[in-house]
Amino acid sequence: MSKYLDRSILEIHELLKQKKITPKDLVMEALKRIEESEEYNAYITLDAENALKQAEELEKLEVDHLLFGIPIAIKDNIVTQGLRTTCASRILENFIPIYDATVVEKLKEKHMIIIGKTNMDEFAMGSSSRTSYFQAPKNAWNKGKIAGGSSGGSATTISLRNVPFALGTDTGGSIRQPASYCGIVGMKPTYGRVSRYGLVAFASSLDQIGPMTKNVYENALLLNAIVGMDEKDLTSVEKAEEDFTRNIGKDIRGMRIAVPNYFMSDIVNKEIKSKVEEILSLLEKCGAKVDYIDIPYLEHAVTLYQIIAMGEASSNLARFDGIRYGHSKENPKDIDDLYYGTREEGFGEEVKRRIMVGSYLLSGKNAKEYYEKALSIRDDMQKAFLNVFEDYDLVLGPTTTTCAYDLEDPMDNPSKSFLDDVLVIPVNMAGLPGLSLPIGFSKDHMPIGLHIIGNLFEEAKIYQLASFLEKKLNLDLDPKGGEGRD
Amino acid sequence: MTNYIPTIGIEVHVELKTNTKIFSPAKNGYGMGANTLTNVVDLGYPGVLPTVNKEVIHQAIRAALLLNCKIRNKMHFDRKNYFYPDNPKNYQITQNKTPIAYDGYVEIDVDGQKKKIEIEEMHIEEDTCKSTHRQKVSLLDFNRAGVPLIEIVTKPCISSPEEAKLYIEKLREILLYGEISDCKMEEGSMRCDANISLRKNKEDPLGVKVEIKNIGSIGNVKLSLEKEMQRQEKLLDEQISFQEQTRRYDDKLGDTVLMRVKETGNDYRYFPEPDIPTLHIPDSWIDSVSKEIPRTADERRKTYISLGISPVNADKIILNKNISDYLENYLDTNLDFVIASNLLLGDIAFYLNKHFQTIEDTKLTKEKFICFVEKIKDHTLSSRNVKDILEDVLEKEDSIDEIIKKNNISNISDDQYIESIVDKVLENNEESIRDYLNGHDRAFKFLMGQMMKESKGSINPQLASEMLSKKLQNLTIDS
Repeated sequence: MSKYLDRSILEIHELLKQKKITPKDLVMEALKRIEESEEYNAYITLDAENALKQAEELEKLEVDHLLFGIPIAIKDNIVTQGLRTTCASRILENFIPIYDATVVEKLKEKHMIIIGKTNMDEFAMGSSSRTSYFQAPKNAWNKGKIAGGSSGGSATTISLRNVPFALGTDTGGSIRQPASYCGIVGMKPTYGRVSRYGLVAFASSLDQIGPMTKNVYENALLLNAIVGMDEKDLTSVEKAEEDFTRNIGKDIRGMRIAVPNYFMSDIVNKEIKSKVEEILSLLEKCGAKVDYIDIPYLEHAVTLYQIIAMGEASSNLARFDGIRYGHSKENPKDIDDLYYGTREEGFGEEVKRRIMVGSYLLSGKNAKEYYEKALSIRDDMQKAFLNVFEDYDLVLGPTTTTCAYDLEDPMDNPSKSFLDDVLVIPVNMAGLPGLSLPIGFSKDHMPIGLHIIGNLFEEAKIYQLASFLEKKLNLDLDPKGGEGRD
Repeated sequence: MTNYIPTIGIEVHVELKTNTKIFSPAKNGYGMGANTLTNVVDLGYPGVLPTVNKEVIHQAIRAALLLNCKIRNKMHFDRKNYFYPDNPKNYQITQNKTPIAYDGYVEIDVDGQKKKIEIEEMHIEEDTCKSTHRQKVSLLDFNRAGVPLIEIVTKPCISSPEEAKLYIEKLREILLYGEISDCKMEEGSMRCDANISLRKNKEDPLGVKVEIKNIGSIGNVKLSLEKEMQRQEKLLDEQISFQEQTRRYDDKLGDTVLMRVKETGNDYRYFPEPDIPTLHIPDSWIDSVSKEIPRTADERRKTYISLGISPVNADKIILNKNISDYLENYLDTNLDFVIASNLLLGDIAFYLNKHFQTIEDTKLTKEKFICFVEKIKDHTLSSRNVKDILEDVLEKEDSIDEIIKKNNISNISDDQYIESIVDKVLENNEESIRDYLNGHDRAFKFLMGQMMKESKGSINPQLASEMLSKKLQNLTIDS
């Protein structure tokens, strides 16, 4: 079988257009690759039969745009009609949605082919995908390492080159952190850019769906396909249509870049820090202006995040009660037994912990003392970032403080998973767009990511810088070096 | 007999008459098959998000204006978290911090005295689904889930069960005529909870509060509060203490029944609904709503009285909005409103009730109704005739003239003809005349019967009776 899926989307598109290959060839290859890399546990559910059927049907249609007939993987907290959507939880183990998320509708309109649903932390709560009811995905660069999370399955399947495109979701770094760990490109768009309708809510005021791809151009291309105001999501924002690839290839001379001191402080692993410093001096050499600055509140972001995310989660997950859908305790004695039993059996430890903490944070006076206060400091934090963007085009730093760690590392410290996300969380808190770009490797050849943060709705500028660096660095980001496959 | 002063506050939930639900595009309707008016949003499906039905805000603004409330220009929704099978998301979207309206009042008439019942606040929220409990199972109907509600909360300023009843009646009238809701307590589109506490003197602190939930009819508002007062008075007299509690009124028992004792601080974990951004209500929106408020019941009542309708009848018309709406169409005509109102409240209302119809279901066009009233006024039609031909009038396309003709109603008010009949009957019934003159009233009825028989029932009975009595009177004077 030919290695079509190692090629760029432009090449694949040409082949499809010239009828040298069909969507079915792509689906077959993707399924074969997924099967061969099954041990990485990137998927919870595959939709082989439907994907093939759909691919065959597409043969009758004209190949009218770049995404036509291309396989895509969807994180398993985005509902897909007729295709099991579990949120990596036992409580939804057999849940088959009766409607499509808005983003899924958009992909289907574009005739993209959904290949399956990717593994993740249960209800996206975690940062190593190890809270999955279906066991953690493995890092494509080292099977003994985590893929990161919560969009670990999507990151893994991209870095394995199973499919060109995947969707992830990012509440507190869940796209960017695994992207960084897996050496791929992951974008969390501005809050409101992409409809959340059909995304099973974790923390409604922070959740955002975004593209995960092997390169910058393809990332921007997928973002083009999923953005837009949606009447079904009142938090989605109306914006003039734009092409997020438009600045790709443009020079970055004169670009003003801010680097928050906190992002380069001792919390960051030395190897990563020096890699980022290398990048910053490269940028300066290329004509960008780089300043180290202080942004207030950054060090409080994790605390604020925990309050808001857990508070909202405790309410969002209340609907899983065993009455209308999902797991339900058998032969309950009474209604309380049904509630307790269903949730006891259905939710994993981390989810239960967050529901409990979240309920506590919202109860009685706490709502005012914690949740509302956190919301108000969040506003201040956003203002602080917006102030920075008065003088700077982009904010840069490392995506993560360390590289992917061992799958076997203990999980007994619940706050560790939040500290992993200390650099990515402020972006969710401020509602800003942020992208992780692979910029190199550690000594033991694990990927390192650069975090590029833009002003509200300035994703195109992020892509401009990211693509510039991508081209300059020209890294080999295929974990098998492009050689390991037949 | 009572030596206690009651303090009463009332919360009323009203279902808004909108096309669709508050947070989903599903239809808002009553009496449909279970779970036919639902969608994924109403079911609290994973991944769904609420949208806000503008119509709901619009109607809530109208209600706020009708209740003389201040309206907030900037508001948000909150989540009220609690687990209950009728609560699909296990949180209800409501307004805790920023109710759309506040500081209003409803004016009632207590024994000829005006009293303002103060409205603390009015907020918007979603209804829960309806649960039905069978022996071993509970059934859930989500048709009601997400139906828009407004909750209207008074200050604790109501000082008797009678006032409470008057307030509910007035509130219902205002909301019904404001076309906010159909306000049917029996169908649950208007629901009432009342809080009551007793104290000896006005200066004393408020007594222990008892809430009576889900009072099912206006009559029961007064009844349940009276019963609850008696119950509490007895306890207070006997110095038996009791806790804050929730009770319900049992119709069969004719008394309130304990539901639960209030636990300290029900914790609903309120927080701002993150799925719905802050809503702005510009003054221009409020202005445009204020311009489209339909004529209120008070305005209509005033008009009716100015047209000569008795206050009692005016009230009766207001109680039947269909009739009132119908009458609104005639305000620019010179209809005899006294006859018209008697007709509408009497024979027509009776007929409609009997046949489960409303006046819109009938064939009574404007032109026809005017003609009908005209013919009664000029005695072409007697009240007997009206009863006889009413079905034809309401059910047939025929004009009044055609109906009169088909029913052989003619000449009946021809004075000469009637006189000839009277004379003929008097001639042939000397004995009855004697009886009458001797004070036997039955003789009059007999004579009338003879006249009807003679005329084959075609004469106007009223005119005939007047004529007969005049002639008999003359005989009395003569003798």
